[in-house]
Amino acid sequence: MSRRYDSRTTIFSPEGRLYQVEYALEAISHAGTALGILAQDGIVLAAERKVTSKLLEQDTSAEKLYILNDNMICAVAGMTADANILINYARQAAQRYLLTYNEDIPCEQLVRRLCDLKQGYTQHGGLRPFGVSFIYAGWDPQRQFQLYQSNPSGNYGGWKATSVGANNASAQSLLKQDYKEEYDLKEACGLAVKVLSKTMDSTKLSSEKIEFATVGRTKNGKIYHHLWGADEIDALLKEHGLAKAEDTEMSET
Amino acid sequence: MPSIFRTRVQRAAFHRDHHRQSLLDIYRISSSTSDSRAQTIDDTPADLILTALTPSTPTSSSPSPHSSRLYSSSTEVLLGITGKDFTIVAASKAAMRGATILKASDDKTRALNSHSLMAFSGEAGDTIQFAEYIQANIQLYSMRNAMDLSPSATANFVRGELARALRSRKPYTVNLLLGGYDQITDKPSLYWIDYLASLAPLPYAAHGYAQYYCLSILDKHHHPDITFEQGMKILRMCTDELKRRLPVDFKGVLVKVITKDGIREEEYADDHSVACP
Amino acid sequence: MGSPFSINGGACVAMVGKDCVAIACDLRLGMQALTVSNNFPKIFPYGDVYLGLTGLATDVSTVSDLFRYKVNMYRLREERPISPQTMANLVSSTLYERRFGPYFVSPVVAGINHTTGKPFICGFDSIGCIDFAKDFIVSGTASDQLFGTCEGLWEPDLAPEDLFETVSQALLNAVDRDALSGWGAHVYIIEKDKVTKRLLKGRQD
Repeated sequence: MSRRYDSRTTIFSPEGRLYQVEYALEAISHAGTALGILAQDGIVLAAERKVTSKLLEQDTSAEKLYILNDNMICAVAGMTADANILINYARQAAQRYLLTYNEDIPCEQLVRRLCDLKQGYTQHGGLRPFGVSFIYAGWDPQRQFQLYQSNPSGNYGGWKATSVGANNASAQSLLKQDYKEEYDLKEACGLAVKVLSKTMDSTKLSSEKIEFATVGRTKNGKIYHHLWGADEIDALLKEHGLAKAEDTEMSET
Repeated sequence: MPSIFRTRVQRAAFHRDHHRQSLLDIYRISSSTSDSRAQTIDDTPADLILTALTPSTPTSSSPSPHSSRLYSSSTEVLLGITGKDFTIVAASKAAMRGATILKASDDKTRALNSHSLMAFSGEAGDTIQFAEYIQANIQLYSMRNAMDLSPSATANFVRGELARALRSRKPYTVNLLLGGYDQITDKPSLYWIDYLASLAPLPYAAHGYAQYYCLSILDKHHHPDITFEQGMKILRMCTDELKRRLPVDFKGVLVKVITKDGIREEEYADDHSVACP
Repeated sequence: MGSPFSINGGACVAMVGKDCVAIACDLRLGMQALTVSNNFPKIFPYGDVYLGLTGLATDVSTVSDLFRYKVNMYRLREERPISPQTMANLVSSTLYERRFGPYFVSPVVAGINHTTGKPFICGFDSIGCIDFAKDFIVSGTASDQLFGTCEGLWEPDLAPEDLFETVSQALLNAVDRDALSGWGAHVYIIEKDKVTKRLLKGRQD
C-alpha cells in the first residue's frame, strides 16, 4: 500500500507523511552516534567512528567532524558522501558571506542556508533527500556560543545538549539526566565521553573509535576550534577511567 | 535628445539592473531607473571612468576624474565626525543642477537601519538610485535575519556593490559617508567611500571641496573621545569655514546624529552670516 | 595623474634574509595629493603566507578579500595551509583571468615554505606575470626609490633583526622621497616558527 507514496519525495502519504524523509532519518539512526554539549565557556562535539576493518587505512583526517569556518564546526551522522557535498556548500556559503560583509556569518544563518538546501530535496525533483543529520557548534558576537542540530527534512533547532545517530534516544535521555547549565568545557567533555561509553557497543573506548572537537575561547579572548589528536583523546579517556584496558593493548604493541 | 542616447542609456540600465537582480535577490525597487539616468548621461562623458580603468591607457594622462566629472558634486558638502559615543553626519541642503540651485532643503542621507546612516553626493540620479538600492538591501537583510547588519558589515557590503558597478558598463558616480553605531561593541563608527569604491574607516571625514577646507580643522581639533557638544562645536567651525571660503552657497547643512539610541536629526541654525576677512 | 596605479599611492617591499623573510608596506591612502587616511595597511596575512598589494585602493580591497576567500577554501579543502609557491601561482592565475580588464594592483608574496624551510618572495605585474627574486621585491608609487634603497642596503644572509633594520630603513627612506606614500609602516619579519609584526610611526607629513 505504502509503495504508492514512497517512491517520490514530493508526495505526501494519506497519513500526511513523507516516506523518503523518514527513510533518510532511519538510515541516519544506524550511523555512528554524534553528540554535542553546550558549556559556559565553549562547546564540545564528540562522535563515534565505526571501524569496519583492521585493514582499513586509518586516515589522519577526521571522518565525522568537520571545520566549516573560523568559528564553526560540525559533527555528521549519516552518509559521508552526502555530507561532503553539504559541507562544501556550507564552507562556500560562509566564505561568500565573509567576502560580502567582511564579517563571519552568524551561526544560525549558516545553519539555515544548509537547511534551505536540504528542504529543497523534500519538495521538488524526484531526487532523494540528503541522508545526513548535523550537529553544529559555533560562536558569533550576537549570540555567543551556540549548538544546533539539523536533519534531512530541513528542520533545525538550537540545543543545550543533543545527539544524533545510533542509540540517540538513550544518549538523549542520558544527556537530559546529567546535563547541568553551569558546566564548563572540561566538565562537558567528561559528560560527553561518559554518554558515548554508554551508548557505544564496546564499553572500553579508544582514540581509534571516537572523534572529539571543541570550540572555546583562549585566554586573550580569541575564539578557537580544535579537532583533538589521538593522544588528547586517550588522555581524556584515561582521566575518566574509560580507556581500553592495558592488557588488550599489549598484544598490539 | 538624440535617439541613440536613449537606446544606449536604456540598454545600460537594463544590463545593469538585470545583472544586479540575478546576483542579489532583491525585487526591482523603482521603475524610473532609465529616466533618472537619462538626465545625467547626455552632458557628461559617460565612458570617462571606463577608459581610465581599461588597460589600454594605464599610463596616458587622461584628465583627472575629479576636475571634470565631479565638478558639481565637489561643491556638495558631506562631513562626518565621530566621538566618544556618537557619530555626526552633516550634508549640504542645496540640490544643484549645473549652476542652478533647485532646492534648499535637500536631504542627502538615507537611514539604512536603526543604527546606520548613509550620506551621499555625486551625479544626480546615480546618488538616490544607488542609496535606495542599498537601503532596500540592508532592510531586506534585517527582515530576513531578524537582526541588523553591523555598521562595518554594511560599509563592506556597500563597497562591494559600488566596486562591482565600477567594473560594469556604467558605474555609479557616488561618494559616500557611512555613519553608524555598533550595538555589540558599543562603539561609534564612520566609513569613507569614494566613487572608485575605496573604503576607509576614519575618525572624521569629508567629501568634495569640503575636504580641503575642513580636514585641517578636524586634524587640529578632533580627538577620539570628544563629547557630543565638542563635536558640534567642531562641526560649527567647519561649516563656518565653508561659508567663508566656498564660492557657492550650499544652503547650510542638515545634521544627523547616530548614538546608541538610534538616528536623530539635530537642530542646526545656519542663518547667521560669516564674515570673510 | 592618469594611471590608476598612482591615484591612491602606496609602497610595498619584501626581502630575503637567512632563514627569514621580511615584508613591509606604508599606511597612506590618498586621492591624488590629498591624504585621506593614514591607516590603510597593504599587507594581508593568509596563514603562513603574506600578500602585499599596492595600486588602486579599491582593487587592493577587492583583491585581498578575494584571496582570503580562495586561501580559506584551499585550507579547508586540503586540510593544510597554502605554501608560498602555491600562493604565487594562485595569484598569477587569478590576475590573468582579468587579462583584458585587470585589477590595478602590483602584488608581492612573501613567506617560508614549511616543507623545505626555505624563504620565498616574488612579485607580479597587474596581469599575473611572476617575478621571482633571490634578494628583494619592490612595488608601488615609491618603487623607483625602493630599488635604490634596497640596492644600497640589502646584503645576503641577514639575520632576522638585521633584516628588520634593513627593510625598515629601505622603506622609510624611499617613501620620504615619494609624495604619494608614507605616513607610517607595517613590517613583518617571518621566521620558521615565529612572525613579528611591528608598526613604524614614520614621518607624519
